[in-house]
Amino acid sequence: MDNLHIAATATSPEVDFRFDQHLLSLKGESYPENAAAFYAPIIGHLREYLTSCEGVAITANVALAYFNSSSTKMLFSIFDALDRSVQSGNTVQMNWYHDEEDETIFEFGEELQADFKAIDFTDHPVSTQ
Amino acid sequence: MSVFSPLSDQDCAFFDMAQQRNVIFYHMGYFSHSIVAAMAEVVKLQLEVSGVSGPTRRKLFSSFVELSQNIIHYSSDSLPPGQDNGALRQGAVCITANPEGHLMLCANPIATSDVGALREKLEPLRDMTLEQIKLAYKASLRAETPVDSKGAGLGFLTMARDASAPLEFAFHPRADDPDSTLFCLKAII
Repeated sequence: MDNLHIAATATSPEVDFRFDQHLLSLKGESYPENAAAFYAPIIGHLREYLTSCEGVAITANVALAYFNSSSTKMLFSIFDALDRSVQSGNTVQMNWYHDEEDETIFEFGEELQADFKAIDFTDHPVSTQ
Repeated sequence: MSVFSPLSDQDCAFFDMAQQRNVIFYHMGYFSHSIVAAMAEVVKLQLEVSGVSGPTRRKLFSSFVELSQNIIHYSSDSLPPGQDNGALRQGAVCITANPEGHLMLCANPIATSDVGALREKLEPLRDMTLEQIKLAYKASLRAETPVDSKGAGLGFLTMARDASAPLEFAFHPRADDPDSTLFCLKAII
């Protein structure tokens, strides 16, 4: 299936899902007008891709500087889909990037780790000068 | 013949008061997605320039986005959708910098019939400890999204979690329109 690329806007992140390389990236800020409308097709594509994966090593790079409450819920669905895909013999390596001072995003990362134990999670605090 | 008239105290009254009250942002009018995005930029820059700490800036920005987007989604006073069919609704928001923290106030009209449901959502938050709020947040995150919610129902919990005191709110009936009530929310961060 085709790779999925959505350019970032001021209120929505860059979505760079390179299905052919098994490399999925989300980067930027997320507070779109309608989070459900923004993320639903993305989740749809992701699920389609994951259905076709068996024994694949998937890497997810997430570097979100901010996400509003409605995005948070949609993001949870994305990680849930990734977590479930591990049942088909896949591995998911998730790299969670955030400002080292950002407690909120760090804690959300911890929530993800707690709920989605099948994902191989690495926290990456980044210092900003 | 033109007459040069210097600015009177009356003219400057609003600016003077705003300065005395340490107002760092104020908007009363319409809220649409692009308007909120632009205001978010203004707020972000204002906070950076005024030397507010990183964690506090983040919490203020987050609360600002949450309450502004609530106004977009739930204010009952709206213009008909514009060309892009985006929501365009009326409300007000004010941020002041006080010794005990930043104060964020917002107000918008809501349908009087919605007062009960909104009160039910906000009242419990007043008596919750931070730990309880965090637990409620985690539970809400994993729950099904309510049918009438354009977001996740997480908005108030997100604000309550970041605030340094319980969220305060009030409902003011409008004399000129019994079907409409003014909803006011106050957050200290």
